Amino acid sequence: MKNKTQTLPLLFFLLFFNHVHSWKKEEFRTCHQTPFCKRARSRTSSTSTPLIATDVTISDGNLIAKLVAKSKQEETQQNTNPLLLSLSVYQNGVVRVTIDEDHSLNPPKSRFHVPDVVVSEFQSTKLWLQRVTQETLDGDDSPSSVVYVSDGFDAVLRHDPFEVFVRDKSNGNTRVVSMNSHGLFDFEQLKVKGEGDDWGESFRSHHDKRPYGPQSISFDVTFHGADFVYGIPEHATSLALKPTKGPGVEESEPYRLFNLDVFEYIHDSPFGLYGSVPFMLSHGKQRGSSGFFWLNAAEMQIDVLGSGWDAENGISKLPKNRVDTLWMSEAGVVDAFFFVGPTPKDVLKQYTSVTGMPAMPQLFSTAYHQCRWNYRDEEDVEHVDSKFDEFDIPYDVLWLDIEHTDGKKYFTWDNVLFPNPEEMQRKIAAKGRHMVTIVDPHIKRDNSFPLHKEATEKGYYVKDSSGNDYDGWCWPGSSSYLDMLSPEIRSWWGDKFSYQNYVGSTPSLYIWNDMNEPSVFNGPEVTMPRDALHIGGVEHREVHNAYGYYFHMATSEGLVKRGDGKDRPFVLSRALFAGTQRYGAIWTGDNTAEWDHLRVSVPMVLTLGLAGVSFSGADVGGFFGNPEPELLVRWYQLGAFYPFFRAHAHHDTKRREPWLFGERNTELIRDAIHVRYALLPYYYTLFREANTTGVPVMRPLWMEFPSEEATFSNDEAFMIGNSLLVQGIYTERAKQTSVYLPGKESWYDFRTGNVYKGEATHKLAVTEESIPVFMRAGTIITRKDRFRRSSTQMTNDPYTLVIALNSSQAAEGELYIDDGSSFNFLQGAYIHRRFIFKDGKLTSLDLAPASNGNARYPVNTVIERIILLGHASGSKNALVEPSNQKVDVELAPFWVQRKNSPAVMTIRKPNVRVTDDWTIKIL
Amino acid sequence: MMKLRMGTGVIVISTALLFLCLPFCSSSVPNDPFFGIAPQDEKYYKSSDVIRCKDGSGKFTRAQLNDDFCDCPDGTDEPGTSACPGGKFYCHNAGHVPTSLFSSRVNDGICDCCDGTDEYDGKVTCSNTCWEAGKVARDKLKKKIATYQDGVKLRKDEIEKAKSALDKDKAELLKLKKEESTLKEIVQQLKEHKEEIEKEEEKERLRKEKEEKEKKEAEEKANEEKSAATGEEARHTNEAGKHSDAKDYAAGETKYEQSDVGDSYDGATDSPSSEGSLLNEVEESVKGAEGEHAAKSETDLRVEEKKSSEEIINTGNDASENTEGLSKEELGQLVASRWTGQKGGKQSGEAEDAKKTEEQEDLTSESNNEEYEGYASETDDDSNRYDGEDETEDDFREEERDDVSSSYKPDTDFEGEPDLSDVVATDNPSWLTKIQRTVRKLFKAVNFFETPLNQTDAARVRKEYDELSSKLSKLQSRVSSLTQKLKHDFGPESEFYSFYDRCFESKQNKYTYKVCPYDQASQEEGYSTTRLGRWDKFEDSYKVMAFSNGDRCWNGPDRSMKVRMRCGLKNEITDVDEPSRCEYVALLSTPALCKEEKLKELQHKLDSLNSQQPEKHDEL
Repeated sequence: MKNKTQTLPLLFFLLFFNHVHSWKKEEFRTCHQTPFCKRARSRTSSTSTPLIATDVTISDGNLIAKLVAKSKQEETQQNTNPLLLSLSVYQNGVVRVTIDEDHSLNPPKSRFHVPDVVVSEFQSTKLWLQRVTQETLDGDDSPSSVVYVSDGFDAVLRHDPFEVFVRDKSNGNTRVVSMNSHGLFDFEQLKVKGEGDDWGESFRSHHDKRPYGPQSISFDVTFHGADFVYGIPEHATSLALKPTKGPGVEESEPYRLFNLDVFEYIHDSPFGLYGSVPFMLSHGKQRGSSGFFWLNAAEMQIDVLGSGWDAENGISKLPKNRVDTLWMSEAGVVDAFFFVGPTPKDVLKQYTSVTGMPAMPQLFSTAYHQCRWNYRDEEDVEHVDSKFDEFDIPYDVLWLDIEHTDGKKYFTWDNVLFPNPEEMQRKIAAKGRHMVTIVDPHIKRDNSFPLHKEATEKGYYVKDSSGNDYDGWCWPGSSSYLDMLSPEIRSWWGDKFSYQNYVGSTPSLYIWNDMNEPSVFNGPEVTMPRDALHIGGVEHREVHNAYGYYFHMATSEGLVKRGDGKDRPFVLSRALFAGTQRYGAIWTGDNTAEWDHLRVSVPMVLTLGLAGVSFSGADVGGFFGNPEPELLVRWYQLGAFYPFFRAHAHHDTKRREPWLFGERNTELIRDAIHVRYALLPYYYTLFREANTTGVPVMRPLWMEFPSEEATFSNDEAFMIGNSLLVQGIYTERAKQTSVYLPGKESWYDFRTGNVYKGEATHKLAVTEESIPVFMRAGTIITRKDRFRRSSTQMTNDPYTLVIALNSSQAAEGELYIDDGSSFNFLQGAYIHRRFIFKDGKLTSLDLAPASNGNARYPVNTVIERIILLGHASGSKNALVEPSNQKVDVELAPFWVQRKNSPAVMTIRKPNVRVTDDWTIKIL
Repeated sequence: MMKLRMGTGVIVISTALLFLCLPFCSSSVPNDPFFGIAPQDEKYYKSSDVIRCKDGSGKFTRAQLNDDFCDCPDGTDEPGTSACPGGKFYCHNAGHVPTSLFSSRVNDGICDCCDGTDEYDGKVTCSNTCWEAGKVARDKLKKKIATYQDGVKLRKDEIEKAKSALDKDKAELLKLKKEESTLKEIVQQLKEHKEEIEKEEEKERLRKEKEEKEKKEAEEKANEEKSAATGEEARHTNEAGKHSDAKDYAAGETKYEQSDVGDSYDGATDSPSSEGSLLNEVEESVKGAEGEHAAKSETDLRVEEKKSSEEIINTGNDASENTEGLSKEELGQLVASRWTGQKGGKQSGEAEDAKKTEEQEDLTSESNNEEYEGYASETDDDSNRYDGEDETEDDFREEERDDVSSSYKPDTDFEGEPDLSDVVATDNPSWLTKIQRTVRKLFKAVNFFETPLNQTDAARVRKEYDELSSKLSKLQSRVSSLTQKLKHDFGPESEFYSFYDRCFESKQNKYTYKVCPYDQASQEEGYSTTRLGRWDKFEDSYKVMAFSNGDRCWNGPDRSMKVRMRCGLKNEITDVDEPSRCEYVALLSTPALCKEEKLKELQHKLDSLNSQQPEKHDEL
């Protein structure tokens, strides 16, 4: 009896609980429920209106053409006007194609071009086209127009049928990326609403007036010589994008790009999450990489078509090694960029030349962040802070979620819980640490709230379709949303971060922008209605995916202003768009404490990096739910390698600060965090690399090993820079794992120093101490092996160089240092060294341009230890030049803080300064 | 405490200093080679020129001691620098307490030791604050010692009292057990006699029936139809008897089923499938939900409605979740509540939960469960097993118990502590002897072989049996409750004995927290009570009382509470906190924690502090 009465409720409870924790799928539209997507997806080349390009000329350095229906009859039938096409060419292999309605024909409204995403410098790289060559392609009757792009590449506008592509001259003029090769191009032109036209659309209880009728655009894009396509974040899915349609493919939803706040998203779905970057890369063994970017902020749906797909009937007639895709957007214009590659890093460089380089982060923000919804009050903050010290675990930033405010009015403090915020921040700052508070875009509609009053008076809110301030529901209850599309409003918002305006803020306080999709709890699909209005009559549908981006931009620029232009901003955002990399960090939102979510965090963060957003990470531990200690430890071990490394948890979860799971687990977590702190110099150098080249800190293996097919769909392992390969452990109580080590050179186990052959899959025993990490032979990385309370105290600490020698006993690596917080590096106040080991000699070279001279970053740090992995000789001494000092070479622990760390060949105390040129010769 | 400086200030100073100590600034190596070593360790370092790493991993020369390079992973060779992450740095802190720091604190720009010795590379200047800090610490310590001195006495008294009370309990238990077995025997005898009587009565009845039948048969030989009717009637009577038995049985079953439903409802508070159960809340909530749908336009949400819309989420019926009818605010709140697990104010949501659970408790588990626990322990009680009664006997007893319990149901006896006034309170062994005598007399008086049975005798046996078996069950329940009590862990010196059957209360804002050791901890707000946990155990060498498996939090864990105890002169809850959602922590000051060893330790500490007071406290 007793048993029965207890198990029954338990069963009941489990059933009921599983239901509570689930993604509300029905609340979001499917492609089938989205008219433009449904139409576009069912279109075939024979049901599309064929277009031809006419009136091709050169004007203002651009190639200009008109797109008209092939038969006049169809044009009149469809009641359509010619479209205007403009093609321009930029340095380094970028081609831009815009297609819009002809403004001289007075369309009902001008369509939305997304402003402030393409950086101004990009314009200066434009190549002014002087002439166009006419050429008839094989099998064509009519000519095509050809312009020069760069050495080896042409851009081609095929007139009939209309097609745009970039071709590789060195490879028999084969296509690289092409648009409309399948003739699926469709452009719904704006119409004036006539009698009886009802274009309204309803979804669940919401109605969208759609005053301009259908205005969608869709077309096919083909990546030639490609095996896989990647990119278009943000989705919780594999790195190499699985086909959504095509022969032998189980048809799924297209990849959706529509910024949404999704409660408990699932770990494998093409469903759209918080951000959208409509940029796709391809990669293939044959040809390398190419890329395509469509600058458009409306809802987008993208099909990746399975091998052998055909636009007409799905039968394979086409050669392999190509990936076809279908791009569909609800509104806007065609503003498309073709990137020729040919390496993956080239594509990143080309893409970031358009949308901007990733910002150089504050050094502290590349260290470990401790967050929770919510650190409750000042006492709690002080307690958590002191516990880190008690357990000798470094951390740099403590975060405050929404509960710190007075009634969810941002820029305010709950004065019972946080009566002395400045003092609290000062105490944290005294240990070189920082704090972050949350500032969300929903403004509480409360007349006693000055921000709301002012925004109302100035008319700064987004309007509903009837022109009143849009009133939605979010954390504070009834809320309105600032119109961040307007530069004036952004500037006004930025001023709110000044120390005078944000009472209780200090220079050690930085900002977190959450809910900026925007999340509207009672809106359609938990966001703003599409017919809401922004300045200039822009409909929300046209700007939706960029709303969070503009908000992030405004906050970030506000922090720059706050610091008089001398302090780098740090702003974490959840929503993102193309260009977000210029404004701050991104995290993958509300994940769950499950192994599958740990697993999917890797492709998610990798994909963000491929879209230029290098500074990103997932919540360590998982936001929802309570991780088992083993999962938490594994998450720390992996998360320590995310570019953005933060632990976070929902307020219903149990506390999970690192010391709460017993001595052994505390030790393991401490060690994982220590590894990150040791690698901070290496990470910072990689952030600088991203800042100058667009190449992300965390990279797919194929970015470093582009010709190794075995790596193309691997998203369990990743590279940090060009040196470290990290393989996560994604299962409970794993005893063994397989790791593929690419490249001809060997790899050194980063824990033991043991050597492993390249181009091989290794079966490895898994230890609880760490996940498998390998250092690539032929590279040099810098570490700092002393652990302080926070990165701030490590500034003057000496370096350790780890040299992993390759088969010819050589290696190379770099080190970048600056003050970690100001913009002085832009004036040359930095140190950039290259270390080269060759012929038994290590040389330090200056990579900074000579003009840096007087703006140098003054630093006195030395190298205390040089570790040589794979060195052949058993030498006892080394000679430092030019000081002509002899130093000891001995066997010493690979990691000084770890018990029983294997001994490796070590140059003891060379104490050479990182700023100097020197050589060290092994005797 | 320590003096802290602004991080930014440190950077400015250190940047300035960099220019001063170019090109080679080796100030991170201390002048004294034995710097940072604890006094008790000095011998270890000074005894030879080659020193072993304490962890046995290697050795190093005197020249390598404090040379700012880590040779021993455990930090043996770098007690005075930050070179070894695993090392410890000793600050003497003359005038205050010496401390050992992680070596990561050495020369990190933050003054950690009150004597400032951890910062010597010239990047910051730390003043010596040990004297002031030491004085404060000593004063505090003195106060603490004073408390302990009084507390130790109180604790001793408590322990004395506990010991004699425990002895009393044990003696009583022993006595009760003896009485129990004696009484059991008597009851058994009575029962046998009663059965004997009943058998006789049955025989008598059958005999009479037969006689009557025969008589009737004789009478009705003339009228056959009539006699047949009488037979029919007799059979009917029989069946009716059977029926009523069955009915009783069924009624029992129904009762259990009800309690099952109640319990399952307890777990799945908002499960829609409890529909049709007899419990009021369900009806109420269903009504509430319906009301919600009906009241589309009503914007002013009352608490009831809040609750019901929460229920809509709770049911989590994905496909059928109907948001169409909601107002804008309602929809917003509903979606928001997915993240927060609440609607509107968090507190009200929780109180709601608590209230529901509480009501349930009243309805079902409280009475039933406790009874069961009693039985379980009785059945588990080994003494029963050794009584040598065979299985059928056991079965019989089981049934009998059921009977007893149901007959006791309306009685208040079982609600709280069983009332044994008539059995135990006399505390006089003669009551049992009296009974024995009475029964013996009764047995003598009654002639069991007399036929027909003497009806008065039979009634007397029956009455005696009923009375005594009820006494026995009371006695048994007292034995079991006393056994239960004595099973508890009252601490190594029984210092927590007085906590039994006591509750400590603390009012914090609108809540009253109630900690009842060995029972439960709860939070009360007005008329609603939330159980924060049931008694679990002592933890952390009797410094913490743990209560677990309290009421479930919405979307969260079962509530739990840890009560940390510290020495104080009164039993008093001084602080209650909820550091993690639904995990409560309270502070209880109590003399039970004022241990003599600890007092000695504190006194020793004070002595050493006093002895360390330097004449010249300005040395650096």
